[in-house]
Amino acid sequence: MRISPNLVPMLVVALVVLALYWPLMYLANIPVAQRALDTGAALPCETAFECATQLRSPVLPSPQQLWNGFGNLMFPLNSPNAIPINAAVTAFETVVGLLLAAVVGFFFAIGMVASRAFERALLPWIVASQTVPIIAIAPMLVVLLGQYGVQGWLPKAIIAAYIAFFPITIGVAKGLKSPDPMALDLMKTYNASHWQTYLKLRFPASVPYLFTAFKVAMTAALIGAIVAEISTISFQGIGKMLAENSRASDVVAMWVIMLSSAVLGILLVALVNWLERLLTPWRRTGPVAAGPSRPAREGVHSA
Amino acid sequence: MSGLYRPSSYWTGWLLLGLGFGLLLWFIVAWWDQSEPASSTQKLLIGLGFLGVVWGIARVAQQFVDTPNPVIGFTPAALTLLALMVTAEALLRAYQVPPGLIPTPSRVLSTLLEVRDVLLQDAFQTVVLEALVGYLIGCSLGLITALLVSRYVFLERGLLPYATIFSSIPIVALAPVLVKMIGIDWPSKAVIVAVTVFFPMVVNTFRGLTEVSPLSLDLMRSYAAGEVQQYRWLRLPNALPFIFNALKLGTTLAMIGAIVGEFFGANGQGLGFRIQIEAGRFGFDIVWSAIIVASVIGIAWYGLVAWLERRLTGWHVSFR
Repeated sequence: MRISPNLVPMLVVALVVLALYWPLMYLANIPVAQRALDTGAALPCETAFECATQLRSPVLPSPQQLWNGFGNLMFPLNSPNAIPINAAVTAFETVVGLLLAAVVGFFFAIGMVASRAFERALLPWIVASQTVPIIAIAPMLVVLLGQYGVQGWLPKAIIAAYIAFFPITIGVAKGLKSPDPMALDLMKTYNASHWQTYLKLRFPASVPYLFTAFKVAMTAALIGAIVAEISTISFQGIGKMLAENSRASDVVAMWVIMLSSAVLGILLVALVNWLERLLTPWRRTGPVAAGPSRPAREGVHSA
Repeated sequence: MSGLYRPSSYWTGWLLLGLGFGLLLWFIVAWWDQSEPASSTQKLLIGLGFLGVVWGIARVAQQFVDTPNPVIGFTPAALTLLALMVTAEALLRAYQVPPGLIPTPSRVLSTLLEVRDVLLQDAFQTVVLEALVGYLIGCSLGLITALLVSRYVFLERGLLPYATIFSSIPIVALAPVLVKMIGIDWPSKAVIVAVTVFFPMVVNTFRGLTEVSPLSLDLMRSYAAGEVQQYRWLRLPNALPFIFNALKLGTTLAMIGAIVGEFFGANGQGLGFRIQIEAGRFGFDIVWSAIIVASVIGIAWYGLVAWLERRLTGWHVSFR
């Protein structure tokens, strides 16, 4: 594997951030610690400087606190209150949501490409559904589905799908429209049927767009799943842990959960990346400019 | 396709539409004060009415496909909304779904009128103080960062990969931490919004600033244009469509960020706070009213940015 030219600058930036973390942490925590000392709270430390790393609800937790927090929340691995199992539940809801979103997204995209009347009648509302705080509908949707016996992970997956279908719809529609007019003309001269045009030209042409859309949709679906867990009664998942610790004001735990969900998001998008490489091996060898909307990470350095 | 319509198709569309709406409305009026579920014959009529409306819209929409006027071109979409509302009203009444579960559209509208003062105050807090302030801060910071990153290769290599990694992070998880850190008043939500809109802004603007045609760059060089001139006359205009893309995306993100932020603590005001409180009390008519207010504002905001985009980037290919 080739070493990326980004590695050294990225490491430098990471080191700068880490080096700035300690002073920032002291700067943020010392006033809080001073106030706690002034009020005479029973703290296991003497000066504000010492206390800054030991506050129960710090503004920025110290690295030591974060480390301990990770230890507490990661182990034992199979505990129902530990991060691994909850993250797995959330990841499962996200992936199911993404698959549901893909089905709905394909339906709308094909409809929009095939019929301008369909586009005229529905596209404004598909866009509007995104300007609506979809998240607000989550609690109602869960109560509603619960009435008809749908409980547990499925409502969360549905909410995840609700947020994720939009990027897929737009991406697939763009991809299906992307073939060169010349290529479409060629299909016509070959007397290809509607179906053949789709199967042999439009679908293959939409693949690069599809995976870009999936990456965006994966993040959206994860947000949907987490919000659904927060705003509804749930017994498992990252969102439930966030809500619980927010209520208990356990700031360090919230930081740990936030960082873990960030890792989860990165892993899920990496999964899509890996699938992309597995399923479209020709894109790696071909010119990078194959898809106009390349994922940002590839496109960034070609300029 | 050509603008010539066969008269028969022209009339059957409107006929089906009228018939469908007639059936649905007739049922709603007939069942307005009833308290038991409708009979299966009546449910069948609702189904027929719905089919008629959908088929009618499908036909009628064909006539509007090539309309240049945006207001008239909106007719099929307006009909779709109307059809969904009327069908929902009819179905909810036919099955006598309790309003504590799903309120009928008419009920939501009357509640919206009743509680409009409270909701407008909430909207002021959520939209103006939280979403708008955060949006402006986040977008301007993103723009400045993108300018810096496009100018210095070291930053491009060291910072940009992080920006793309960060874009796959669920920002909601940040909300509770920030609310605890900054407090439950509106600034914490503004910060959440700013963080949410920042990364798309950086990534998009950077692409716009750097994906410049090499020929144009050569031309600038042969004119001996300075760095500032290059940005003023080539890179920034080239980036405008990308910037507006991020700005449009940001309007949605800002609304969602502000509302979700309020889920984790608010000072007794705000649309997200109202939605959470009322959903807990099964006051779903107020929840839907709040959603309507939020989405109308969201659509208006999006429309405003889209309008600005058309004014400022009318020369771009996608509008020609």
